Amino acid sequence: MTKSLALIFLAGAACGAQTSALERQLEDVARVATAMVDGDACQRMVTPRALAYMTKRIPRDQWAAADNYDVDDAAFIAVKKTLIRLSTLADFPLDVNLWLPAPGTPPRVQVAIRNRNELSQFWEWGLLSQEMFPEMRTVLATGARVTVKREPGLISVLSPVRNSLGEIVGVVEAVARLVPDARENVK
Amino acid sequence: MSNLRSSFGAAALLGFAFAGGCLALDLRALPEFFRPDPFGGVVASDGNGAQQLHAIHLKAARAGYVSFHLIVNAEPGQQYQLSIDSPLPADLYREWFHFNQPDKTYYPDALIPTRAPYRSRMPEPDNNIPKQTAQAFWVDIWVPPGAEPRTYRGEAKLDGGSARSAVPVEIEVLSADIPDSDAVTLDSNSYGTSWMLDQYPKMLARLRSGDGGEDKLFGLIHKYHQMFYDHRGTFHQLGYGHAGKVAPEFAPWLSGSGKAKHIASWDWFDRHYGPLLDGSAFKDSRRGTKPIPYMYLPVNPEWPASFLWWGEPGYQAEFTNVLREMERHFREKNWTSTTFEVFFNQKKRYKGFNWDGDEIRFARDNDYLLEYHRMLRAALPAASPVHFSMRADTSWSMERQFDLLKGAVTFWVAGEGTLSWYPDAIVKLKQRGDVVWAYGGTPAVQSASVAITLNPLRSWIGGVEGFVRWQTVDPGPDPWFALAGGGETLVYPGERFGVAGPLASIRLKLQRNCLQDIAMLERASKTESRVRVQEEAVRLYNGTHLVDWRNTRPALLAKPVLEWNNADIGDALTPFEAKFAVIEPDAWLRVRDYALQGGGRAQ
Repeated sequence: MTKSLALIFLAGAACGAQTSALERQLEDVARVATAMVDGDACQRMVTPRALAYMTKRIPRDQWAAADNYDVDDAAFIAVKKTLIRLSTLADFPLDVNLWLPAPGTPPRVQVAIRNRNELSQFWEWGLLSQEMFPEMRTVLATGARVTVKREPGLISVLSPVRNSLGEIVGVVEAVARLVPDARENVK
Repeated sequence: MSNLRSSFGAAALLGFAFAGGCLALDLRALPEFFRPDPFGGVVASDGNGAQQLHAIHLKAARAGYVSFHLIVNAEPGQQYQLSIDSPLPADLYREWFHFNQPDKTYYPDALIPTRAPYRSRMPEPDNNIPKQTAQAFWVDIWVPPGAEPRTYRGEAKLDGGSARSAVPVEIEVLSADIPDSDAVTLDSNSYGTSWMLDQYPKMLARLRSGDGGEDKLFGLIHKYHQMFYDHRGTFHQLGYGHAGKVAPEFAPWLSGSGKAKHIASWDWFDRHYGPLLDGSAFKDSRRGTKPIPYMYLPVNPEWPASFLWWGEPGYQAEFTNVLREMERHFREKNWTSTTFEVFFNQKKRYKGFNWDGDEIRFARDNDYLLEYHRMLRAALPAASPVHFSMRADTSWSMERQFDLLKGAVTFWVAGEGTLSWYPDAIVKLKQRGDVVWAYGGTPAVQSASVAITLNPLRSWIGGVEGFVRWQTVDPGPDPWFALAGGGETLVYPGERFGVAGPLASIRLKLQRNCLQDIAMLERASKTESRVRVQEEAVRLYNGTHLVDWRNTRPALLAKPVLEWNNADIGDALTPFEAKFAVIEPDAWLRVRDYALQGGGRAQ
């Protein structure tokens, strides 16, 4: 093996080690999130009026659902604070997002809380709700944790959120970028 | 840009090879509001009947610019050389013809600074326009404050071997000076700096790779401020995202938590903002140095205090500690000429926070602004010479907010359309000491050139003190060969042309010239009857009376705000907007003639 090939191998191994360490920490955060996030509060978060507007069609106004989007302050703040605390468990920048089922057929999902770095492998900027992602459907149906590496440089771990009845009512996405970008999403 | 008085010498002329021989060659001119197309005509939205001119005569006040287009008409393959002999400083720009996707038509807009003599061939090699027969240039003539009032004569010259053409240029300089300060602050808004890394990949390569290079970024930011300042405008860059992330160049760096949270480093902040706040960034401007009048602070629900502590003592402790340190730092630096804006841009639809800071629609969200105002007062000394101001951008519920937030919000940026429903509110807000601006968009390139004058004029007539174009630095993925209208940009990245900063657009130049005229009208209105001056200006502009520029309350206002939608608002605004739907291409030139007469008299 030449010296340069050896360096490439070592760099690749270091990168792989970094990825698996990051993935392990995200797994831990997601696991703790399932224990800590209050599913009942999550279910109270988006107001009934806002949910109704998500499926309402207002002629000549494509922004009606967004303009009427609203949340219950107390529920939002309580859950967001939990998500922020969870993001401090790792030693690198990460976000813990909350996803909830959204009204619509076929099944849809909505991001309900995002955090400082605005990282996600699922959210498309500006959309109030999106078609259900297969990985989230799996989490909602089975309660299993799912690791997603769809977008290069990003790793997400999805984990279930349960309410007091033991029902799975949402999904947390613990997500980080392998190489943080200080200016990404400041726009 | 160089003063082009010294034209080109005989030796240079002889040394220039004219491979094109004696193909037809013709130099013409057009007034600034009539944009040329690349085929020898004028773009349709500026008036098909416009004639290219053999000579140009312009009246000018001092301490300002006059402008016009030059058009080189030539057959394909023709080489040419363009120069200007001007006794006044002249800046020459090549006009880039953008292929505009919305209507599949060419429009000139980006202006590439060009040294005279300019040598090229038809078609312009890099613009790549099939069957191009006309290349356009923008000429800015600077009339210095001390210029002697008289007629200055120069000439634009086109040389193509045996064929030659010239356009005599006469500038009649009046004794009036254009006031330095504007009646309407035209603000260009933007968000963050990631777009700079995208638009300047070579210049910011080190920064992109995480290998230092921040000085290049600071320098580039300053270039954008300089560009807008030189065009009588201001530039805003919001430094945080919808979930509170702050880019490192927009805020002092913090450390600690709770009571221990404090500012750890001013280094990047001072290198970024220092030259803007003391005015030294503008030392090379013909307008002289001046600190920027306004800037966004990075304050948001997640900075400087962590949202984790919202509603707890730790939130106020973190907020107060940092804002107090900021005030002290600004005071020690003597940064007392700038208004530091505490502005909340987040919207709950983007899921970062539970309340709207921007364009509040739900009444209870106002409580958060009141709470921040309370904390701000607790943080700042009452008699500070540093100007902090709570700013609110408002649309849906502005009438309610004007009352509810009295004394808390002192800087209002209101949607131009809905603000027209409350014309008396502007006077009341100003009487209590608030600053009132309006906001809106930017006319796309396919609009008539004169459209860029409407927002400044309407602001001045309505009494608002500023107008924000909400996004002005996003030319889209391919501005050069597939422009998406250009409605979100007034400048273009210069890197493609070896320029380490932004390129001005024709629309930005037209806006600057319009602001010069409004400054003249404003001065006239202070020495004569304001109503008479404004009445005459609108009559010349579009044949209206002042009363036509005042909107009335629509029936929609009887319904609760949460029952309105955008279609309702559009319908309610239609009768008012219809008065301004069609403006003649030379409308502003008529207003300018009046401004030059009135301004001269007033002085």
